Amino acid sequence: MKHRIWLVFGLITLGLLAGCASSGPERDINDPTNSLVFGYIDMDDAPTGVTSASIVQVAPPSDTPYWGLGVNKGLFYNSYLPPGSYQLSKFSGSGFFAGQHEYSFPRQGNQTALRIVKPGIYFLGSFKYKKVKTGIFEQDKFAIEKIDKPTEADLLKRILDGSSEIQSSAWSGKIRARLAQLK
Amino acid sequence: MIPRRGLVRVRLAAANLVLLGALGACVGAAREQVDSLSELGGGETVVVGRIELVPPLRAGEQKIRGGNSSQFENKMFLLTDEHYRILTKEPVVADYAGRIEAILGQTFFVRSSNKPFFIRGGMLYLDLGGRELNRAYFPGGLKVSINPGDKAVYIGTVQYHRNEFFEITKNLIVDDYDRANAEFKKKFGTKYSLRKALLTPAK
Repeated sequence: MKHRIWLVFGLITLGLLAGCASSGPERDINDPTNSLVFGYIDMDDAPTGVTSASIVQVAPPSDTPYWGLGVNKGLFYNSYLPPGSYQLSKFSGSGFFAGQHEYSFPRQGNQTALRIVKPGIYFLGSFKYKKVKTGIFEQDKFAIEKIDKPTEADLLKRILDGSSEIQSSAWSGKIRARLAQLK
Repeated sequence: MIPRRGLVRVRLAAANLVLLGALGACVGAAREQVDSLSELGGGETVVVGRIELVPPLRAGEQKIRGGNSSQFENKMFLLTDEHYRILTKEPVVADYAGRIEAILGQTFFVRSSNKPFFIRGGMLYLDLGGRELNRAYFPGGLKVSINPGDKAVYIGTVQYHRNEFFEITKNLIVDDYDRANAEFKKKFGTKYSLRKALLTPAK
């Protein structure tokens, strides 16, 4: 019984870890229709950092439109996305004093809208969180502003260096090829 | 974009309640649907038109949760004003007074004074209920030309063409008078005629 409990905890932990990497409908990392989508958010001016993030598939229609993003110090990515239309959906994070926060992106006028027709590597951009002033009875709001750094190449290097799964997959060669193009 | 947490959630709920209350006709009521022309007072007109989304909302694209979901589902809130004003920022509760609640793809028949007015823009809830609030906005800047003495005017079908990101790619005023007039006669009889007065750009 004790072992079963640990097994359950173990499975939950595995599930959570998998969720942190880049979750969503199950796909093989070497599926040739996959795209790598990534970006960066500077949350220095936000109440918290980002510990989890999701991107939503807006086309084609799906019963499971939300895809988790791997998150690491502002970098976010998913290496399993099939062709379709996507935009960032939500970031969340927590801080000791700030508590749990969710940052929801709009469904209309979302700067991160991306249409993937051909599988490949797609850089959404590097952004900085900006608080938007609102009235006391209005919802809190934020905006994201494009920034120049980190660059696409900086982030691709981080993805490559930071994930053994990526290193041992077909992405390794594709990322290196893209880095060579960016030089 | 909306961040949420503790107190913020309370504020968000308050903001939602204020707006929902307003749209629930407590404050700044919508233009009433007209079922009989005898309901119209002197100096009143029935405005006939239609709003279409192209492509239409597909299943699951609009997520309205809660008991009164039918009040918001498949419905565009058209903001109107007797004075021409451009909608430059997110509308506040007061902006919804005198709105037209148009069920998408259906002809509306709403009561109006017989003064010209302007459609400032439209709003459609994409997510509503629980902790979700997401809206899409649609362009306006259209004039409804009503003449004194008009009993019924047809303003056309506003077609908003959009993509999967709810970006408006084109908006058209379509003359679908024959269908609207047939619906008008079926609903109200033939005593009054429906004058065609298609929407025009305000400026």
